[in-house]
Amino acid sequence: MKCLEIADVTYRYDGSTEAVLKGVSAVFEKGKVYTIIGQSGAGKSTLLSLISGLDTCKEGEVYYNGKKLRNLDRDEYRSKSIGVIFQGYNLLLNSTAVYNITLSMNISESDIKDKKAQKEIAYALLEKVGIDRETADRKILQLSGGEQQRVGIARALSHDPDVIIADEPTGNLDEATEASVLEILTRLAHEENKCVIIVTHSENVTAIADEVIGIRAGKLLIGEKV
Amino acid sequence: MYVFEHALLNLGKNKGRNILLGIMLFAVIASAVIALSIFNATDSIIENARIEFNTMIQIRPQRRQMGGNDNGASTVTLEDLHRFADSDYLSGVQIGVGGGFARGNETVFYLRSPELLYAFEAEMREKGLPDDWAVFRDESSYRRMIAPIENLQDISLTFLIVVMLFGAAIMILLSVIAIRERKYEIGVLRAMGMKKNKVVLCLWVETIVITFVCFVFGIIVGTVLSNPVAGALWTGEGQINIALNGITALQILGASLLLATITGAVSVSRITKYEPIKILMERN
Repeated sequence: MKCLEIADVTYRYDGSTEAVLKGVSAVFEKGKVYTIIGQSGAGKSTLLSLISGLDTCKEGEVYYNGKKLRNLDRDEYRSKSIGVIFQGYNLLLNSTAVYNITLSMNISESDIKDKKAQKEIAYALLEKVGIDRETADRKILQLSGGEQQRVGIARALSHDPDVIIADEPTGNLDEATEASVLEILTRLAHEENKCVIIVTHSENVTAIADEVIGIRAGKLLIGEKV
Repeated sequence: MYVFEHALLNLGKNKGRNILLGIMLFAVIASAVIALSIFNATDSIIENARIEFNTMIQIRPQRRQMGGNDNGASTVTLEDLHRFADSDYLSGVQIGVGGGFARGNETVFYLRSPELLYAFEAEMREKGLPDDWAVFRDESSYRRMIAPIENLQDISLTFLIVVMLFGAAIMILLSVIAIRERKYEIGVLRAMGMKKNKVVLCLWVETIVITFVCFVFGIIVGTVLSNPVAGALWTGEGQINIALNGITALQILGASLLLATITGAVSVSRITKYEPIKILMERN
């Protein structure tokens, strides 16, 4: 089932004449894992920014469930419909791991209002990505890069979004944790009918994809490896 | 609700910056309490003195024109003075008597209210006050009495204006610095989907809590210091008593909230310009 669509999108950074994305189009369906691959600077992260509603395209359209993203409340879209796993984690550094998760739940106006219940869900999510309770109660600043990445993954899942967008989600993880994170992402797509889009350089990640999308010179190469 | 919780948690997380902001705000509020207490107290003294003075009426023989003297003026007897004093327009009278003679020009009539002057003068003329006697208020005595109070009031007003302007400038500067420092945090919250107005509310709640705490301490310290400061600035006779009243406290609270709102407005203008993707890209 079609969930996200990019149609003829061209994108230039402010002040630049060269387009990063040149009239690209693609369709993303629920229940599938997509990986986007390409060389550094090819426009992979730009594409994710557009899909995740963090940026808007001046030419072309991004559609979510058939509606133009530019016409939707993008704050609501980011807080409820998608979960983004950032390459740079983008967590609240002075807060605990568990607080980062519960805050995300609150921003998305989760039905679970009870603080204790919210915390328990947060602990459970963190445990799924290999963060124990003691670590969950530590501030982000006190966590390693790999632990922060896992908190970022847990946060992206905290509000049960339809679409999970991940920018190099396993870049800082050891092999065992990488395998467990990939297993979670695959299960979310195949068992919970989520649309999972991953930007990666990792062959391990590409191996789990249902579809691979390459980016070269601002063009999408659907089904091709670059 | 979570916005308030987040704001309160942030107060503890950014202790250094909040303590600095609190110290500045405390200094501004305490200074404003001192200045405004003095201003309001002197204002009240001046107003009371003006009312009191405007009800104090004297009479005196007019000088003769072209270098003449008072020697040829008509006389006003003690009987005349008693007759004048018997008036519904007066609340009291202090009849000047010296050397066994009535001294009309040392007699003070106290009107019930300042606007009764002309009616009382007309009544005295009817009762026999000679045309060559003038009815007057002693402006020069009033100016002498009121000058040091006005001086103190001017100082307190200037000080208040300087403190408020300086305070506003410092608060805006601190707010701009704080927003710069917290740009990343704002970017993360926005990327998570927190709406701009909620981010602004969060920052505003933080400022309001700090303002309120500083208001309480500023009121206490300002009240304690306002009398010694007023004493040091007072050049008139006797003592001047400064007390904080409810109106002054409300004025200070209003001014503090105004300061907090100004800094909040600065935050709003800065945050509105920030796009989360740009903040996060800058950092990453």
